[in-house]
Amino acid sequence: MATLLDILTTAAILYSVAAGLLIVFGVMKIINFAHGGFLTVGGYSALLITKLGLNPWWSVPCAFAIGFVCGMLIERLVMKPLYSRPLDAILATWGLGIIIGQLITLGVGREVQFVQSPVSGTIDLLGGTYSGYRLLLVLVAVVIAIGIALLLNGTRLGLVTRAVIMNENLARGLGINSGLVRFITFSLGAGLASLAGALITPLSSVDPNMGVPWLINAFMLVMVSGVSLVSLAVACLVLGGAQVLVSSWGNPILGGLTIVVLAAVVLRLRPQGFSRG
Amino acid sequence: MADAQAAAPVAGAAAGVLGRTRLRSLLIVCGIALLVIAAGPYVLPTYMVNGLIRAFLYAAVALTVDILWGYTGILTFGQSAFFGIGAYAAGLIFTHAGFGPGYAALALVAGIGVAVIVAAVVGWLAFYHGASPLYGSVITLVLPIVVSQILYSGGNFTGSSSGLSGFESFDIPIEAWFWIAGCFLVVLTAFAWLFVRSDAGRILVAIRENEQRCEYVGINVSRVKILLLVVCAAIAAIAGYLFASVQMVVAPEYAGFVFGTELLIWVALGGRGTLIGPVIGTLVLDVSTSYLSGNLPFVWKLVIGFAFVVVIVALPQGLMPLIKAAVRRLFGRKNTETADFAPRLDAAVEQPYAGLEGAGGCALAVRDVRKQFGSLKVLEGIDFEARRSELLSLVGPNGAGKTTLMRCIADGNERSGGTVLLNDHDILELPPYACVAFGVGRKFQTANVFETLTVAEALRIARTRLAPPSLWTREEGLALPHASMQVIRATGLDKQLGTEARYLSHGMKQALELAMVLALEPSVLLLDEPTAGLTKPERTLIGGILTDLARDHQLCILLVEHDLDFVREISSRVIVLHQGRILLDGTVAQVVESELVRTIYSGGHAATGGAA
Repeated sequence: MATLLDILTTAAILYSVAAGLLIVFGVMKIINFAHGGFLTVGGYSALLITKLGLNPWWSVPCAFAIGFVCGMLIERLVMKPLYSRPLDAILATWGLGIIIGQLITLGVGREVQFVQSPVSGTIDLLGGTYSGYRLLLVLVAVVIAIGIALLLNGTRLGLVTRAVIMNENLARGLGINSGLVRFITFSLGAGLASLAGALITPLSSVDPNMGVPWLINAFMLVMVSGVSLVSLAVACLVLGGAQVLVSSWGNPILGGLTIVVLAAVVLRLRPQGFSRG
Repeated sequence: MADAQAAAPVAGAAAGVLGRTRLRSLLIVCGIALLVIAAGPYVLPTYMVNGLIRAFLYAAVALTVDILWGYTGILTFGQSAFFGIGAYAAGLIFTHAGFGPGYAALALVAGIGVAVIVAAVVGWLAFYHGASPLYGSVITLVLPIVVSQILYSGGNFTGSSSGLSGFESFDIPIEAWFWIAGCFLVVLTAFAWLFVRSDAGRILVAIRENEQRCEYVGINVSRVKILLLVVCAAIAAIAGYLFASVQMVVAPEYAGFVFGTELLIWVALGGRGTLIGPVIGTLVLDVSTSYLSGNLPFVWKLVIGFAFVVVIVALPQGLMPLIKAAVRRLFGRKNTETADFAPRLDAAVEQPYAGLEGAGGCALAVRDVRKQFGSLKVLEGIDFEARRSELLSLVGPNGAGKTTLMRCIADGNERSGGTVLLNDHDILELPPYACVAFGVGRKFQTANVFETLTVAEALRIARTRLAPPSLWTREEGLALPHASMQVIRATGLDKQLGTEARYLSHGMKQALELAMVLALEPSVLLLDEPTAGLTKPERTLIGGILTDLARDHQLCILLVEHDLDFVREISSRVIVLHQGRILLDGTVAQVVESELVRTIYSGGHAATGGAA
């Protein structure tokens, strides 16, 4: 039973972490390797809230806002010239990740720090006890998924964004400001990454390089899920589940490799990954 | 540091001057570099000598990254893994088995062997027909993560996170190591320099520029990439082996993903695709990092990060072109780079296609070919044959499936069902380069050439399959079959052999692509709107060449065309496609007079042309 819950919560955490990367990749066809940096920014936003002694719940809006603003700045300053060079964009955003990490190191220091969790204690569930916070994260992942789905399918911005996803040149020809769509998408992706960073910190700790391992897993999950939110959920459940199983029955280090290796193999055998296309 | 700075202008100037008296200049530059290295240990302080040995070995790995990424366009994060494999081969054998001449040789062979096997597996995973470049990068990213995690989990055997240290190694002084590492780097750079400028080396650039066109001139791109990766892996493993032998320490970080990205940073800052740039970039950056990270540890890394982002965004070619331009201005030299190199044109000894056609078969047979996307049927029950010397036009309104049919003939993976025979060879599910070997040549609808290669280089690439290029030199003569030569002469391309394709007009690009396809000596020629966007005189010229090809060279030509006047003038037979089916297959007269054809061309006068 605990294993099942582990799988579910792990998938939910992975989903929250990868969602921001997915929307940036889906709309802009660009891999944002600064995603790890934004996760770290979120982690430190949560730390800031803890240091200020505020209610830990504040870290959620606060991290989102800080990440969103970082994304806005970076999109304007760095990303614009790179849209036609996707492989270069990977490198430039990786460089951005380095910059973010070093700025945090210079400002806050390198030591590992801990953040207060908004929910503590365990919940009795189906005859066992389980961490309340991890269960809460499942709810959060569902909220994020529904939020993005509503944004894409229920608003004018979403309609325009879907047009840009399908055929950017045509969309531009129809008078859609695709630059603005990219701007908002990238900022939103950064905001979501930062939010995810704040959410995962109570589970572990904060340090300037905390984002990198998450980045790699999120990247592989996005690669296997194409550009669909649903297939991302499937990928998180299947590959995250495999990770939990390998870690608990095998060896934790192999467990850390599960997502990366499985995703690479899945892509070789089925280039479209978990998406139907 | 002094050494690296002294080397920079020398090498920079060298890259500009070389071109004509290439080999002599190369030898002079290498000689100077070797002299500087020979003097190094006597003038430099000991810690500097130490730092440079490491930098030399890193630079050797950076060189392989430049060949893979800068020249061939494979963004790789994985060269660190091969470096780590070479280093751990030495570390593990020296620690667990002991040190001796036999063990030293064994470790070197084992390191190279494992690296080669891993590279072959990674290459097979990453580079298959139809793989996206992003997927290749994903795999090279996975590799160092997997290798370093395996090293972490190796317990006492691999020393886990602290690695292995204190093992016995070669008992030679530090100066000797400096010379070994320095010579290794200089010789490697010289060979790489010769290779990338050779005729075979141009294939790498062709792959970077246009992988699809490479496949359609018969180059097995995946195999080239895998071979290249294997060689680069072996070089990185040797560098890693030397590193472990001299430092007497190995750690999982040297095989890791972060080191892999560091290599990319050095190459990007130095200047991708310049060889010298990445080498100097690595030497300068690695030595200054070990200097400065003591004083300003985090600020220095921040500066590198900033510089990296700025270079990628604003100076994709890195700092090398800037230095080159400055040197050129300083010495008042003109650019004598490769662009104006134009070979002599020769007539090739033609190798007529030895197909089974003599036994009574036909050049092209299409049997019940179908193509569907999900439930959408684009082609259905396409059935026809074409003989040599036939000029067969495919006409039909937009969306009739003409281009799709062309694709199904030239690439075995395209069709959903049915059989295609080229000179009686079933193309099965073979990729385009294999279909080229059966005698098919395909010209695309929009001019599909190699933008940064010269006309002569592009034509030589097209000859790769029939005349394997040299790995180290550049041929003086360019041998082309008669048909290809005819196109080049008639269009005036022979006077522009040294011009890069991107500077050609649209019509000239079309002619170049046609000449490239003809250089394949095809027996079945697929042409997708070869006259689209051309002027009337150019069209007449191409038309004349096509009828000549069919008549004099017995080519089977399959032509997609919208211009019915043009079709009428040159075709010997016409097939009308409509909504994925063959509507009519007959002579020009039959088709022109057909009521049916007139109706599907929206009631217009089919005979007056230009309907779609």
